[in-house]
Parts: sequence; structure tokens; C-alpha cells
Amino acid sequence: MTPTSTKGMQSPWASRGPRLLEKRLGVGLAESRLIEPDTLWVRVPRALLRGAVETAVREMGARFLISVGTDQRSLGDGYGIVHLFSLDRDALFLAVECLVPEHQGGVDSITPIVPGADWSERECRDVIGVEPQGHPDPRRLLLPDDWPDGVYPLRRDFDYNERPAAVEGSRPPLKDHPRGSTVIPMGPFFPSLEEPSYWRIFVEGETVVGCDYRGFYNHRGIEKLGDSVLTWDRIPHLAERICGICGMIHSTCYCQAAEKAAGIRPPRRAEFIRTLILELERVHSHLLWLGIAGHIIGFDTLLMQSWRIREPVMWLTEEICGNRKTYGMNAVGGVRRDITPGQVPKIRDVVTGVEREILAVKRAVVGDATLLARTQDVGILSRKWAQEVCVVGPPARASGVPIDARLDHPYAAYDEVPPTLCTQGAGDTWARVLVRVDEALDSVRIIRECLDRMPEGPILTEMTGDFPDGRVGISVVEAPRGEAVHFVMTGGVNRPYRWRVRAPTFPNLQAMPAMIQGQNLADVPITLGSLDPCFSCTERMETVDVRSGQVTVHRRAELEAIVRRHRP
Amino acid sequence: MSALPGILGLTLLNVAVALLLSPLVEGVLRKLKAFIHSRQGPPLTQPYLDLLKLLGKEDLRTSSDPFYRAAPALSLASVLLLAAMVPMGASPPMGFAGDIVVLIYVAAMSAVILILVAYGSGSPYAFVGGSREMMVLLAVEPVVAVTLVVGAMKSGSLATGEILAWNHANGPSMSMVLAGIALLLALQAQAGKLPFDIPEADQEIMGGPLVEQSGPRLALLRWTLWAKQLVFAFLLVELFVPWPRTGWLGVDLLLALVKVMVVLVLVALVDVVNPRLRVEQAMGYYLRVAFASLAALAFAVIGM
Repeated sequence: MTPTSTKGMQSPWASRGPRLLEKRLGVGLAESRLIEPDTLWVRVPRALLRGAVETAVREMGARFLISVGTDQRSLGDGYGIVHLFSLDRDALFLAVECLVPEHQGGVDSITPIVPGADWSERECRDVIGVEPQGHPDPRRLLLPDDWPDGVYPLRRDFDYNERPAAVEGSRPPLKDHPRGSTVIPMGPFFPSLEEPSYWRIFVEGETVVGCDYRGFYNHRGIEKLGDSVLTWDRIPHLAERICGICGMIHSTCYCQAAEKAAGIRPPRRAEFIRTLILELERVHSHLLWLGIAGHIIGFDTLLMQSWRIREPVMWLTEEICGNRKTYGMNAVGGVRRDITPGQVPKIRDVVTGVEREILAVKRAVVGDATLLARTQDVGILSRKWAQEVCVVGPPARASGVPIDARLDHPYAAYDEVPPTLCTQGAGDTWARVLVRVDEALDSVRIIRECLDRMPEGPILTEMTGDFPDGRVGISVVEAPRGEAVHFVMTGGVNRPYRWRVRAPTFPNLQAMPAMIQGQNLADVPITLGSLDPCFSCTERMETVDVRSGQVTVHRRAELEAIVRRHRP
Repeated sequence: MSALPGILGLTLLNVAVALLLSPLVEGVLRKLKAFIHSRQGPPLTQPYLDLLKLLGKEDLRTSSDPFYRAAPALSLASVLLLAAMVPMGASPPMGFAGDIVVLIYVAAMSAVILILVAYGSGSPYAFVGGSREMMVLLAVEPVVAVTLVVGAMKSGSLATGEILAWNHANGPSMSMVLAGIALLLALQAQAGKLPFDIPEADQEIMGGPLVEQSGPRLALLRWTLWAKQLVFAFLLVELFVPWPRTGWLGVDLLLALVKVMVVLVLVALVDVVNPRLRVEQAMGYYLRVAFASLAALAFAVIGM
């Protein structure tokens, strides 16, 4: 079910969009229907895909979200390529679908029109095997260097636990560095990036003249598990583990997409609880980021103080959910734990304290000349490039792009407790700092309002009957680092036929090369850090130590005793 | 003090202070930093334990060049030589006519060795670190030279001991105070403290010149840095703040040590409240400090 929009009734594009497309393309659309009040689905012939996307982007103001490649051979449709767009001002999603019959080549690449579709299309090629024709950089994106060519892991005839033998010679070529420049490698393991990512920075002296990226070292095959192993009601717990920081974001986003597809709506109280937890997550994530950003430029006092301020939020979520992180709060149809009356004053106390301390930090950093010297005019992301690469979240807002999924596609309780849109114009690292600090303060306000307005009632709508077939649900959730997108297509046996996840770092990271061009090497880590990159959620992988199999739980006192064993 | 045993004894004392006391001073500064971070911090003895641990490890090298092998030891030796040329509670043991000229060279030696180590280690991070170290050195050295020349002009002698004696006898003057402030600002970079720890820049270039150094080599290079900050602080307080002086070596050394700690705490406080600058920002900063120290020289010329 669609959350009620604050933007009035149906978007004019819902009816005008298909007519405009038909006019521009000169043919009737194979299919065009409003599958949800907020989702317009059009199917276009392969030859007209690029024209349709061009019309959507240039005339309807559509913002590219992600491409979904689906193996629909078992439905008799070949491979489905769906480009998802958001019409932000109209609270409307637009899905442009194109079917590619088996053994009949690829589809026209839309990257020449939408630069932000670069990685999406390469990912579709890697996992489904539909070649984006005319793509400017068709190198392998996410499969490992030793993965055999022609094996596509997300096809339905590829088992989730199949392990193809490693081969030589399928490693994607590295980009040549300009003559006279030196290559400075950053990664795959680099101290200021806590996760693996391999940047080759081309420098002349200390000036960056280009770069190359190879990532996805952490790919976990989470989407594959979702459509081949788990059932619809288990996936929220897997979705939560996509990211160690914004787990609630992904579980909420999946649940909302699944709820739309299943046609159920969570009770109002559950929507408020989701909003509350999401905002607590935003507060701690922004503080975490502020600390890391400080650390990257050597300002460890900011790191230590931000994380000290963040700590009570972690204790609070532990009290509410039983865990500092990975809350396990969400279920399709609502939430699994209620907020008890006794917890309400505690939440108020904690957020009031956090608010006071964030304000103190803000006062301290805003006047700091050295901090300004390291962040102002550093890593500038122009508004134009931000829109072309489809950057989301604080980096977009810091470049003056007024998008926020909480306002554009109001979900959970955000229609009743809307956030304030925090934007800046400069597009530099300092602007991104300011946006995040302001948002953390705004989150405190939202948390208070949630507590004020939260209605009584049940917290879970149970699904009656099976997960329905042939439905689609698209959901977006504004994570601290940008908008997450989940796409659920039903039709599996009690599980999604296709579950597509887009973490916010996926588009944001693609803006990086332009941001560091011409900069000093010293500014590269903070520029990358200012995007708040989350490589693992972009890659959706998880490592489990299975050697010992033994699980030891250390209590806090024990841990302290271990760490401080030489202390009284 | 001119008798040979006296000189030997004083030399030993200075070297011992630089060698044995510097890890403790570092430990105190770490505690201070931890306090401002709201942390407990490591015990005061941690730097000694760090050194012991590193010294006991395998010696791994990326080059078999004899100079590269000896560089960490040479680096520490150069700082110990500097310690013998710096007054610590008494006249500098290795004082002779014109010694500030030699002192300026010796003071730069450990940095030059570090640059050579960086270029010899064959890592791109070390290369970047080495070139940054050189730029910082080029920016800071003029400040150090000008401030010492101010002392020489005022006292009319190029000997460190004479400058000390003159300043102690004549009391504070405009030019000496300005020069002292300039030297204090230079100390921030010479001690490798934020916002000027640019050559090492852990989060950018993974320790720069030190990236390929480990075990005993790293121990000696770290020890060099700790000894260096202590010796430079002594040079600053003894030349520019020599009062009061009792004439008893032990008391004077303690007094100097107290002043050194005040200076190093100031440096550590600046370190803890600042992010790291870029190298060209640091050079711009020291260029301005160098011009300001020229003002001290001008005051010295007109006798203020």
C-alpha cells in the first residue's frame, strides 16, 4: 500500500506520461499501467528504449534510480531490463521495461544519456548477461577477477551455492594512466577506508589527474539468497545485514516494498516506531561519520568526542531493541517490538543530551580556521554533475539538489512528522559537514515529535494467505548517507522472484572521479570520506568465521577486564 | 667547565636526558591527549614498552644499501649529537666559537636522513612522504636560522653558550621575545605535531617515510622523533627563556625541564585541537612566520 502523500493526489504524469512517450516515440506502448498509485510501469520495444529514457529524463524530469535485470525466461519473457526512475516533485516512480529475448544480444546502453546508469548497466551485464550496447566503459564491474566469462550468477538456472572454478585471463583491464603521471594506489586495504576498495590515483606531483576504481571485493550474493533460499518473511533479517550502519534502513525498505507487493499496510503505530528507530539510526550514523571525517584529516579529538556523544544512542537502541546495531525490529507488515511507556522519558532524556552536545560540537567546529582550510573548496561536486550521476542524500543536498526521499516519497510516518530539507549550495566537503550536522539536529526534533504523536494500537498486520504472485513493489528510504532503493517482484514460491537492492553509496561513489580531478592528493581521503562511503552495502557481502564454530559472548565487564587487565 | 672530565660528564648527562627521558615525556603528552579525547590513555611507561617491543622484533629491510641499513641509527645519533650542543641546565657541553652555524646543520640532519630513508624504501607513499618532509624542512629551517641569528646579533657571538649568558644577563628584549615566539611556532613542525604532521599523515599516506620501517628500525626512528622534540624544546627555553638560573646544575636542569614541559604541553594542545593542513598551506604559514621573524631581526639591528 502506498503511504499517503503530502503532495496531494495523483501526479499529472501518471496519465500524461504514457501519452507523451507515445507521442515522442511515434508508436503505441506495448504496456503502460499504474501498478500502484505511485508507480507507473511502461514497456517499450528494444529499439525505442533510449528514446523513451531520453523523454523521461529531459521532459518529465525523471531521476534515474537503478536498473533491474531479471531472468524471466521461466515466465516466457526472456530477460527483463527495467530502468527505475523517480519523479521527485510528483511522488511518482517510473519503471521503463524492455524485454530481451534469449540469445538475442543486448539492449541500447542509456549511460550516454544518464551518466549515473554506468555501474547499473555493467552490473546487469555481469549478473544477467544482457550486454549494454554502446556503453562507454563496458569493463567487468562486480564479478571477481577469476570468475569465468559467460557465467551469470543471477540467472535462475545458476544455483545459489554453485562455485565456478577460477579461471585465468578474465581480469578486467586497468585504465592507463596519463603519460608523465605516477600511480598512487589506495587500497584494496587502506587505513582510512575501513573497507576494501581499490583506487588507483594518477598524480602529477601531488595533483590528481585521474583515477581508476575497482571494487566489489565484498560481494555477498544477498539478492541471490533472497530469490532462491529465503522466504519473504526471513528476508528482513538478511536485509538488515546489508549494512552494519544503516541496517534498519534496508529492512524497512524491503518490508515496505514487500508490503506494497503483498497489498498490506502496517498499523500506524508501527509506522511511527519505524520512523523513530530510523531517526535514532540517523543520529548515530551522522555522529559516526563526523568522527571518521575528523579522523581522516587528523582531527582525532573530533573523532573521540563525536563517538562519545554517539554512545548513549547505542545504549538506548540496545534498551529498545536488545542490540546496539542490527535491531531486528522489522517484519513485513509492521514491527516486532513495541515502545513501552517506560522507555519514552528515557528516549527524551537521551536525545536532549545528544542535541545539547551536538550543538556544542557545531559551535566548536564552525569557527575552526584549520578545519575550514581543509574542507572548504575541497572535493567540489557541482550541482550539474550531482544530477547527472544521480547522487543522493547529503552529498546531493550539499550541492543544492533538493531531494530527500522522506519528503519526495513520504513513507512510514514522515507524512505526519516531515523532516526539514537541509541544503547547502557550495557542494564542497564543508557543505556536506554542515548538512549532516543540521540533519542530526533535525532528527532529534523528529524523534520528539514521533513520541508526541505516536498513536496507541497494534504493531503488526499479519499477512493472510500466501505471498501473492505477479506483483511489484518499489520502496525508497532515506538512509543517513542517501536514498536506498528496494525493488520486489513476486512470483517465486513464497519468496520474491526478484529482489533488487540499491544502497546509496552505489550512485554516490560514481561521482568521486570528478570530485578529485585537479585536487591535491592530500584531499583525496577526505573527499571520499565526505561521501560517507559504505562499500559493503554497495557490495552486499558478509564474512562469517566458520572455522571454530564456537560462539563466546563476552559481557561488558569481561571485555573491560580483558582490555584493562593491568589496571586495578 | 672547561676541564675535559666536566665536558664529558655534561655530554653524557645531555645525551642521557635526550635518550632516557624523551619516552617519558612522550608518555605524559599521550596522557594529556587522551584526557582531551575523554579517554583513559595508555600508561606513562607505554613509549618505553613500545620501544622494547619494537627493538626485539625481526629487522626487515626493503633495501640492502649500507647507508639505508645504518640510517635509523645515524638519525638517532644526529639527535644525540644535537643534544650535546644544546644547553640543558648549564652551558652546552660541546660549545665552541661559531657553534650555532653547526647547530643549524646538525638540527636538520635527522630530517634529511628521514628523507633519504623515504626515497630508499621504494614505496610510493614513502616517496610522497619524503617530498613532503623536504618541503616542510625547507619552510621551517629559515625560521630556525633567523631566530638563532637574532640571538647572535644581540649577544655579538655565534656561540650558543654566549647567547644564553647574554640573554640571562640582559633580560628580555623585544627582538629576543619575538624570535622565541617564532621558534616556538617552528617547534610545532619540528616535533612532527598537528597541524604539521603532513609528512607522516597516517590517513593519507600511511606514515609516509616510515611506511616501510618496522621493528628496530622503526624503534630508532620513533626514538629520534621523541628525542628531537625534547632537545628542540630545551634549545628554545634555554636560549630565549633562561631565567631564573641558580648556578647549581641539578636545580637548573629541573627548572629547564619544567619550562620544557610547559612548552611541549602548549605544542600538544595545539596538536590536539587541529586537523592536518595540506603541505602548501603549511608552507604558506611558515613563510609568514619567517617574515615575522625577520621583524625580530630588524628589532635586533636597531638594538631593541
